[in-house]
Amino acid sequence: MSFTVMLSKLSEGMITSVLIFTLTLLISLPLGLVVALARISKNKPLSAFTRIYISIMRGTPLMLQLLVVYFGPYYLFRIPLASGYRFWAVILAFSINYAAYFAEIYRGGIESMPIGQYEAARVLGYSESQIFLKIILPQVFKRIIPSITNEVITLIKDTSLAFSIAVTEMFTVAKAIASSERTMVSYIAAGIFYYVFNFIVAFVMERIEKKLNYYH
Amino acid sequence: MKKTVTLSIAILLIATVLFSFSLVSADGETTLVVGFDQDFPPYGYIGEDGEFTGFDLELAAAVAEKLGLEIVYQPIAWDAKDMELDSGTIDLIWNGFTINGREDKYEWTEPYKDAGQIILVKADADVEALTDLAGKVVAVQTDSAALQALESEDFAELTASFANLLVVDQYNTAFMDLEASAVDAIAMDVDVAYRKNNTASDSNSATPNCVTQFKPRWKKLSRTAPSLKFLKNGSATTFVPSASARRMLNKKNASL
Repeated sequence: MSFTVMLSKLSEGMITSVLIFTLTLLISLPLGLVVALARISKNKPLSAFTRIYISIMRGTPLMLQLLVVYFGPYYLFRIPLASGYRFWAVILAFSINYAAYFAEIYRGGIESMPIGQYEAARVLGYSESQIFLKIILPQVFKRIIPSITNEVITLIKDTSLAFSIAVTEMFTVAKAIASSERTMVSYIAAGIFYYVFNFIVAFVMERIEKKLNYYH
Repeated sequence: MKKTVTLSIAILLIATVLFSFSLVSADGETTLVVGFDQDFPPYGYIGEDGEFTGFDLELAAAVAEKLGLEIVYQPIAWDAKDMELDSGTIDLIWNGFTINGREDKYEWTEPYKDAGQIILVKADADVEALTDLAGKVVAVQTDSAALQALESEDFAELTASFANLLVVDQYNTAFMDLEASAVDAIAMDVDVAYRKNNTASDSNSATPNCVTQFKPRWKKLSRTAPSLKFLKNGSATTFVPSASARRMLNKKNASL
């Protein structure tokens, strides 16, 4: 296999990986905030439910969650599966898994805000929703960016788990080329692909962090 | 800035929709979705040109053509093959799949290839017979025919003599282990072993070389041509094939 063929196969896989990555972030980042708010809400059943949700998502392997999300409809409800569901099952499983982690990061950020800020805002006549949206949340984002960056970088590397339900992302392609060609080159190429992508992600996150650094 | 964001999200959504349309479902009406392990040369693997190829995949393509179905190659995680088959996301498994010992688990074609299991050691290893494997580390692929043989009663004594029977996820890992001397031998399918050996980098003197044959006392398969009266999942035992799969099978059987 020529090097160009190998690279084009790997890029195909990379497109899948990047799609998983982007869609997961688009869903799980907002979802995580919702979960975090439910988790700290005064509504006891809601808070208990999200606590259990987070506990399960963090306490079981992502690979198992993928299998359950994909094959669950068939084994539990006998709904025949369409192959197009594979990709969406990956997005769904990744999103609900990462949302749980993001939720805890958001919660940490929200609870780190000093009570004095709430009190001061109330004195100034802000409503509760204004306090949260205009005063608390912007500061939360500033604080949690480094932790979010960590998770985001882990996510692109976790995409390799998608093949447990037969979505062929880049690492799977690299493995298949390695076994048909008896070569380590595809692994090295895959490593470089991941590194470059994560380098870009880290760079972008750093820029965002700097941009948000407006009080200093 | 806002425009760029909106635009890129729109592009992403379009790409995703197109992408998911390109995944064909195993409806069994117009397509034949073949589930296979893409890490398994020479039966199914990525060829020189980057397309899927292999002994079994070419055969599957010929069958699909004869049936007037469009073939779809679906690489699957081998561990999940039963779930894939049960849930109807693939129509059949076709990938150097050993029948012996699994007769009741699936509905099979007529056997058409007499494979065999061998023990592969490095060229300079002091292993001539199976008894020399005592105290050695032997690698074997998970869920493989070789593993099944080694775990059977027939080879219990042999397996017990190993220092360790190391179960790896794919043969390529075993090969790397063997070259790096982390394992002493690999128990594997003969065709896979020979192909691996032929494509191995020639300059490497440590290139694993043959080969001690170990012949599981399985009944000999007849070398018949494939009858092409094809697979569906476990009839008597646990699972019912999906309605679409059944339709496909009926259609197929009628056309052959």
